[in-house]
Amino acid sequence: MPQLNPEFFVSQLFWLAVFFTFLFVFLWRVSLPRIATVLEKRQNKIDENLSSAKELQEQAMEIEKKINDQINKAKLETDEKIKETINALQENVSSQLSSLDKDLEKKVSDAEKEILKSKDDQMKNINNEIVNITKLTVGKITDIELSDNELNKVIETQKGSFN
Amino acid sequence: MAAKDSPLKQFEIDPISNIELGGYNISFTNSSFAMLITVLVITLFLTLTVNTRSIIPSRLQLISELMYNFIAQLLSDTVGDNGKRYFPFVFSLFMFVLIGNMVGMVPYQFTFTSHIIVTFALAAVVFIGVTILGFINHGIKFFTFFYIPGVPFYMHPLLIPIEVISYLSRPISLSVRLFANMLAGHTLLKVFAGFVVSMPFFTGVFPLAFIVALTGLEILIAFLQAYVFAILTCLYINDAYHLH
Repeated sequence: MPQLNPEFFVSQLFWLAVFFTFLFVFLWRVSLPRIATVLEKRQNKIDENLSSAKELQEQAMEIEKKINDQINKAKLETDEKIKETINALQENVSSQLSSLDKDLEKKVSDAEKEILKSKDDQMKNINNEIVNITKLTVGKITDIELSDNELNKVIETQKGSFN
Repeated sequence: MAAKDSPLKQFEIDPISNIELGGYNISFTNSSFAMLITVLVITLFLTLTVNTRSIIPSRLQLISELMYNFIAQLLSDTVGDNGKRYFPFVFSLFMFVLIGNMVGMVPYQFTFTSHIIVTFALAAVVFIGVTILGFINHGIKFFTFFYIPGVPFYMHPLLIPIEVISYLSRPISLSVRLFANMLAGHTLLKVFAGFVVSMPFFTGVFPLAFIVALTGLEILIAFLQAYVFAILTCLYINDAYHLH
């Protein structure tokens, strides 16, 4: 087995020491710091981006809050306006209704008065006709000339029993 | 020395140039060459892919970052905040073993992690380092690591030696695990490769198909063993901070 041949043990150890020491020192002093710098730089960049993203997010949230506030304010204002308009309209309608009611009442009472007046007139006419008819009838039957006053008195007294 | 067609021949070390220093043979060998390739691949990849340092990474840069995060996560999961200062070491260890295993998967390339002396040296560095760390953090109290609280007193004469032995065998288990996995995998590949050549007619396609599947498994093991090596190192470092 060549591994157990001590002929080249010293040579192997010597070159191992040389190469491994070189590798160790080179990696320690040159390569690893370089990689570490790159990784650190990247981490810094990531942190930076993350913090700026956070900042932007905060700004966006602030803006959103402002927008919401404004929307709420606008809503409240609109509600107020709508309420005001409704109130104004209601007032208008009720005043118009009441004036209409008044008009109607007046018209109704006028009409009632007129009806009463015409009723009275008609009643008067009826009385006259009754007097005339009675006068004619009595005149024809009995040849008695009745005065209008007498007839009216009789009719007035009789009217009570008719009613 | 292994025979010419032995499956173990791939583990033989061939000197590329003979060097001697103070009476010791420190020849640059195929093993050293594989280590050189490994170190070059790691350093060039990790340097070039992150060269632009772009915040939005390219695919290759992403691979480097994933590896970085993988080990950083591993270390913070097992050791916690104390682990950060050992990150370069654990990362180097992980990458060295991982790419060493991967370089070994390239045909005709040498696998230095299949040599017990290499894996043992790496494990010994971890073991010695962790032990020194334990003494720095806890001083003489570090020996209470071998004392398990909440156990009947008469069990301690049995348990303390067991704990000591298990602690001392850490570098052995750590190194042999990696070494044996690499050795077995590559030997098995070589054995089946021998079948492909030696079997008659077209029947060689069956071991060939097996080799293809086994190569996938070996790549998985290459990663897994590097991961195990790294995570055990993390656990040992954690032990040096938190005694029982």
